[in-house]
Amino acid sequence: MVHVLSRGFPARPSIQREYFELTTIPAPSDSHISHPVSPVLRYPANQPPSHKPPQFRKSQLHRQYTSLLRSTPLLLIFQHNNLKSNEWMSIRRELSAALTTVDQAALATDPTTAALHANNIKLQIVQTGILAAALRVVEFFDPSSIPQTTENKVRTATDPAINTSRSLPDARPLPDSPAFTHALSRTAHRLARASGRTHGLEPLLSGPLALLTFPAVSPAHLAAALSILAPSPAFPAPRRKANPAYHEPAVQQGVQKLMLLGARVEGQAFDGEEVRWVGGIEGGIGGLRVRLVHMLQGVGGGVTNVLEGAGRSLYFAVEGRRGMLEEEEKKEKGGEEKVG
Amino acid sequence: MITRFLTDVTVRFNPFTAPAKTARTFLAHLPPNARSNMKINTALLPRTATGPTKLFLKFKDGKEMDLDLDKLKIKDVMVEVDRHARLLSRQEELSGS
Repeated sequence: MVHVLSRGFPARPSIQREYFELTTIPAPSDSHISHPVSPVLRYPANQPPSHKPPQFRKSQLHRQYTSLLRSTPLLLIFQHNNLKSNEWMSIRRELSAALTTVDQAALATDPTTAALHANNIKLQIVQTGILAAALRVVEFFDPSSIPQTTENKVRTATDPAINTSRSLPDARPLPDSPAFTHALSRTAHRLARASGRTHGLEPLLSGPLALLTFPAVSPAHLAAALSILAPSPAFPAPRRKANPAYHEPAVQQGVQKLMLLGARVEGQAFDGEEVRWVGGIEGGIGGLRVRLVHMLQGVGGGVTNVLEGAGRSLYFAVEGRRGMLEEEEKKEKGGEEKVG
Repeated sequence: MITRFLTDVTVRFNPFTAPAKTARTFLAHLPPNARSNMKINTALLPRTATGPTKLFLKFKDGKEMDLDLDKLKIKDVMVEVDRHARLLSRQEELSGS
């Protein structure tokens, strides 16, 4: 027999390999027989069964959107009408440039300021239907509202109460189990649906949407973003001389195709006008505080006047009465003297 | 939807009403380069505004269409637009341009 491989090489000595197989299962130890074995959790502790398998894109988007909606106090909703990728790119470039300018201005006035949000303000396209479902869960589902009875309690292997020999009904839990109350669970979706409440943004949640999310309600950053994405008389777009890059055709065509529909500010639905009002608050939250203090001072003055007024009128009434009585007394005395 | 023959699109709507969905979907159906071929005016009304949701279209041959979106859904609008656009495209074919 001629081996192809053995050409030019000395023939290898054949190796006898020996394999051992485990044919017997080890007998259970004494401790296993005397103590029942804890059940094993059939899913990772941070990934309980969800409506759809967690590796699906839809599940991950839902999870991402709930997290986004819970963490962002200010969110603008835009409709994007067939923007091209280079238009998106140019708009994002202009937006980040404008926001960086705001940050630099804040740094110039106060070097220790914490209001630097330019890197965390993102413009992203979202899947509308999943966003709507996520928003419902965020707004109307409260996991603490579900009573944790023994049936719908999540049993984990570390729970000492279940270290018994009785069979566990939820050893292989189904997503339908009311024990699961995370945002992706069926319970969350069902209860949020059944709540029958409205958050006011429902009519906006259709069609192609993009979100601009802010990590904090910062009117200065909002004003900069509005002047780039939705220019209006109150928030004019930068002049060609000040910012020639903004007047490139890609940016201009893209901005024309973006429509500001509304916003969600601290859980409230706002329309375009109201968003512009938020953007117009001068000095941010500090400015708003100053305004509130002025208003309350005015109210305080009024309240003191009113309260003082009641006392003052009582004082005058009593004083008047005293004067009258004194006069009467004098008259009476005068009369008595005359009589006497 | 055939949008080649549109020259002018004017939309007025309050985004917080149900018929606005039709108007927004119509705008989303226009191609990316629509703004270089036609004039598009979009007026977004504030949330408190009441009044009809209007879509006003002009075609290349001068025909004007005033559509009341409170009654029409996006499919009805597309049927209306396509009916006239097909006519125009047939004329264009016959004239050989």
